[in-house]
Amino acid sequence: MSRRAKESGARIIRYRGVVKRYGTFQALSGVDLDVHAGEVVCLIGPSGSGKSTLLRCTNALETIDGGEIEFEGARIPRDGRALRDIRRRMGMVFQSFELFPHLTALHNVAEGPRTVLHARRAEAEDRARAMLAKVGLSDKASNYPAALSGGQQQRVAIARALAMEPDVMLFDEPTSALDPETIGEVLSVMKALADEGMTMVVVTHEMNFARRVGDWVAFFDAGRIVEQGPPRQIFDAPRTERTRDFLSHLGWHGQTL
Amino acid sequence: MNFDWSVVGAHRDALAAATGMTVLLTVATMAIAVPCGIVVAALRLYAWTPVRAVATAYVELFRNLPLILVVYWAFYVLPIATGLGLSPFATGLAALALNVTAYNAETFRAGIGSIRRGQLEAAMALGMSRAQAVRRIVLPQAVRRILPVLASTWVSLFKDTSLVSVIAVSELAYVAMQIRAQTFRVLEMLTAMAAVYWLLGYPQAKLVDWIQRRYAVTE
Repeated sequence: MSRRAKESGARIIRYRGVVKRYGTFQALSGVDLDVHAGEVVCLIGPSGSGKSTLLRCTNALETIDGGEIEFEGARIPRDGRALRDIRRRMGMVFQSFELFPHLTALHNVAEGPRTVLHARRAEAEDRARAMLAKVGLSDKASNYPAALSGGQQQRVAIARALAMEPDVMLFDEPTSALDPETIGEVLSVMKALADEGMTMVVVTHEMNFARRVGDWVAFFDAGRIVEQGPPRQIFDAPRTERTRDFLSHLGWHGQTL
Repeated sequence: MNFDWSVVGAHRDALAAATGMTVLLTVATMAIAVPCGIVVAALRLYAWTPVRAVATAYVELFRNLPLILVVYWAFYVLPIATGLGLSPFATGLAALALNVTAYNAETFRAGIGSIRRGQLEAAMALGMSRAQAVRRIVLPQAVRRILPVLASTWVSLFKDTSLVSVIAVSELAYVAMQIRAQTFRVLEMLTAMAAVYWLLGYPQAKLVDWIQRRYAVTE
């Protein structure tokens, strides 16, 4: 679906002039971006360009030093219950999975509903089983993370985020720590989620995913969005030299799949 | 030199009761020092800065004083400070708990610090409060990681309870020394004491090793 068709979807996240500093290093220098309901927005660019930082600012794992981030028309609160309510509506998937190693796959997924939503044990575990089935891991429910492959761990992490029934999913380089042969299984789960209409913000180095699944692509460099637009524009007709340069270094020369 | 081991048998009831007291002191001290250690560690890590400073001062004070000095200090100072006539047992327990809590606090702090930040973030991204994330996600992993250290502390404590003999708590060392003084059977009583400490201490250490293997988290 094109962005134009989806722009009827309400704007769900709005970044305006977002600034983030670490000491004297400016990680984000005024970022503007909109995310609409049902859209898949991919953030691409070189390492250290600020895309992961922007994602982490979205659910306030990092605080911002300037500008504003709005979720459904209201500023992201800095702390307290209001922030926790926003966080549980934004599922997050990390590069290093961050599954809880002392809990089985089932209990990893049930933990959020149990602790945050105060679901009864049976109810939380039923939901966890349904989510594991959704990511194709029903048979791994009783495994501990250490007994799962990287791809399986990341799928459990996606199930864990989905168990909170989020309105938006944030993916922070979800396949960067994976062996090449398990990347596909994670991307397939993400594609299926996008097809269901989940709103997704994805930091990624997987250009094929950004091109085929993304509705909107933002190219980051040195803490700014240098160029943003539909994937067709970014990959086939990049308007800035910097974007062309980046894509050519990835071995992408504009050919379609 | 001739030995008369019958002295051990003759006093077996007193020695058994004293051994029970030693075990009781160890268990009671740890029962206080583990939860208090967690609280002090949490204060040092997460509390408002002045509270954090108090917790740090506490740890640095008691970790760097000889335990026997703390025992004497508790014996003479606690009654004046609290106005209560504490029994030798309560006094000894307080001294041991003050000391071991300081050690446990450092152990828990190191354990919590060894859990990577991403775990806390993953829990908070689900909507947990920091306290929930620490309690449900960080602490259970930290405890498993520091079990061997807690086990060492436990075994050290089991032996260090002998220091409260100086304020006449009727634990194993005190009672054995009393019998020695009455019977002049020095080597027999010291050997019996050593045997009891070792025979009880060794299986405890092994038991905790087993718990450690059983509940270790592989990552």
